[in-house]
Amino acid sequence: MDSALKLRGVTKRFGAFTAVDDLTLTVPPGCIYGFLGQNGAGKTTTIRMVMSIFHQDQGAITVLGAEDAARVKDRLGYLPEEKGLYKKMKTSEIVAYFGKLKGMDRATANLKAKDLLTRYGLGDWLDKKCEAMSKGMGQKVQILGTIIHDPDLVILDEPFSGLDPVNRDVMRDTILDMKREGRTVIFSTHVMEQAEKLCDEMMMIHKGRLAFEGTVAQIKAGRDQGIRIEYDGDGAVLQQLPGLDRLNDDNKAAELFLQPGRDPQDALRWLVERLTIRSFDVREPSLHEVFVRTVEERDAALAAAAGGDR
Amino acid sequence: MASKTLLVAQREYLENVRTKTFWIGIFIVPVLIAAAMGVGVLLQKFKEVQRYAVVDLGDDGLAERAEREFRAKDVKAMFALGADLMAAAAAEDADPALKALLSGLEPGAQPSGEQMYAMFQWLQTQPPDQVARYEGIGNSARYEHVSLDELGLSGRTAEEQAKALGKLVADDELFAFFVLGSDPLRALDDFRYVSNNLTDADLREDYEDALTALVRADRIEDAQVDDDTARRIQETVGFKQEKVSASGEAEDVKGEDKVNQWAPVGFVYFLWIAIFSIANLLLTNTVEEKSNRIIEVLLSSVSPSQLMHGKIFGIAFTGMTIIGTWVVFALLAAWLAPALLGDGGGSLGFLIAAISNTSYLTSFVLYFLGGYLLYAAVLVAIGSVCNTLKEAQNLMQPVMTLLMVPLIAMVFITKEPNGTVAKVLSYVPIYTPFTMMNRAAGPPETWEYVSTSALLVVTILLTFKAAGKVFRVGVLMTGNPPKLKEILGWLWRS
Repeated sequence: MDSALKLRGVTKRFGAFTAVDDLTLTVPPGCIYGFLGQNGAGKTTTIRMVMSIFHQDQGAITVLGAEDAARVKDRLGYLPEEKGLYKKMKTSEIVAYFGKLKGMDRATANLKAKDLLTRYGLGDWLDKKCEAMSKGMGQKVQILGTIIHDPDLVILDEPFSGLDPVNRDVMRDTILDMKREGRTVIFSTHVMEQAEKLCDEMMMIHKGRLAFEGTVAQIKAGRDQGIRIEYDGDGAVLQQLPGLDRLNDDNKAAELFLQPGRDPQDALRWLVERLTIRSFDVREPSLHEVFVRTVEERDAALAAAAGGDR
Repeated sequence: MASKTLLVAQREYLENVRTKTFWIGIFIVPVLIAAAMGVGVLLQKFKEVQRYAVVDLGDDGLAERAEREFRAKDVKAMFALGADLMAAAAAEDADPALKALLSGLEPGAQPSGEQMYAMFQWLQTQPPDQVARYEGIGNSARYEHVSLDELGLSGRTAEEQAKALGKLVADDELFAFFVLGSDPLRALDDFRYVSNNLTDADLREDYEDALTALVRADRIEDAQVDDDTARRIQETVGFKQEKVSASGEAEDVKGEDKVNQWAPVGFVYFLWIAIFSIANLLLTNTVEEKSNRIIEVLLSSVSPSQLMHGKIFGIAFTGMTIIGTWVVFALLAAWLAPALLGDGGGSLGFLIAAISNTSYLTSFVLYFLGGYLLYAAVLVAIGSVCNTLKEAQNLMQPVMTLLMVPLIAMVFITKEPNGTVAKVLSYVPIYTPFTMMNRAAGPPETWEYVSTSALLVVTILLTFKAAGKVFRVGVLMTGNPPKLKEILGWLWRS
């Protein structure tokens, strides 16, 4: 199997609206793969097609080597963005239920559910109802329900949203565990720092179309180098930096891009006079920057194309 | 494939059946019905004794005779019922007083007025549980005559008496008082009944009946009509009710037959309530599942049609558990009733016999299933396009309106189980279960059962198909529920 997931020319329309437009991409097996994109860009629609919840209007989807995704449904794990649990069910029951729905036999599912919950620190909650749990615990139960049947491909839609740092770490470790066990993990996120740190490869979708695909290095290749600083003081002065092209100011840290031909050393000297600079680093742009730039570029291109049509 | 449907069904079933409220709900219905049956009897029993007085404007002792006639009426009713009273009197250890009273009275013979009054007085001396055995007496035990002597009003003018009694009625000391006219042989316009309770007319009506009989007898005597002629003139027409057996022979109508005729109405009510409450369970459950976002997780493992079928069947099993429990109750009641109620159990016995009538019970269970499946498919489709219960209730309104028809048609259909209305409604699949249940006493011809059932089954299958299409699209929709036009569009497109 050369890919865990392959999409070729996949298109999905809802009435007049094209949610996913001619999407082609390949997810290699055994990696952590990121789906990036703005809200409404088509990430969830793509995921739903992969899970055969929706059917594409055009194109082909090959999941785990199968042309018909429905046939490998039991080898897939899916955690939707909007996560729900049966409030009245006990945690161990619901995790086992998800396992049974994936074709596990009763006894194995029951045993595995208890085992997983205990391993992930919910041993005291086996016989408690889901309604009694906090959001973080609920999320944990949901992810366990997603992976109880040892899926070969796990798709997580926004797995980190709404989690506190401790639970984020638990989620991250779970994802890493799955990769180590040889599974392929696809997750969608809006948090670029997370994607940058976790993903082996990623793709970005913009208004239904593929914007880029590849490893982080491949994606950043050819982009302007940026200056990242950490500082104290009034960041408003950053706007006045001579030769400044673009600025992402986070109040205590910032990412600066200079016009072509400008020397970062001149910028450093100028900055030191006005702010307390705690660190100064010239390097490739952050994924955040690449994302924002891509959206800007593609929006501009689309607007130009629409203008041209008129 | 099928096993996943079963898993969903099993989960739905367990979730409902495992709750305490579910079982309380199941048990409370028969208990309520038993209570509703019992409460009427109890209310009658615990009704306060109504005290009344009588002022007689005339001078020929009409008041005293009226009082006797009024009481005798109950005893007459008692005799009509009371073959066992005769038997009681015939027993070795019978009360000598009763023996004396009934001596020389042939079974079935009409006792004289004097004997009846004596009977009444004898019964008054018996312990209350003994008295209550003779139902007729129960009614007049509710009324207590208070004589004017007791009230210290004897010897005053009728006008003063009426005034004083009026005061007592106003003070709630008396329930009512009667004023009997001065010359009933000539005119009846000065007969009055004074009470502040205008709804409970039993006392007045019974007294009117007693007085009518007396005045009529007096007038006949006054007109010197001989007894025989008088009896012939006064005779009333009463049809003897018969029905026809399958072979065309006339048979007597028993109380049981009437109950059997009307029993399907009860079953229709039950059917309606059962189908609705259980299909509604499915609706709320679907909306809930959709609003708490669990549906997408499920859809990653099962197909929408597996999910839909699983839910429908799971709730169907839930419904069958409820219905099954009720059927067991009905059969238990039928089995225990003779022991609890004595020989046949009277009218309650008929009712229980009708409830446990196997052909009714079988129709009930089968039509429940058919009706449920049909409405479940509609409701699950409605549930799938709604995000909140409120939206679902709005969409339910047209369905509910359609559903009032069998309830409205119920009485007509009972009166004419094989009439045109009944026949036409039988072929409207959404009404088939209710109408055919309603007609069970008819009963409809076998070919009608076959053809309407076939139509119902085909409709169920088509509805399932359509609901499946709506469900598949609707279940992942958020935002406003779609317009009917859009839903129809989904049906055509896919």
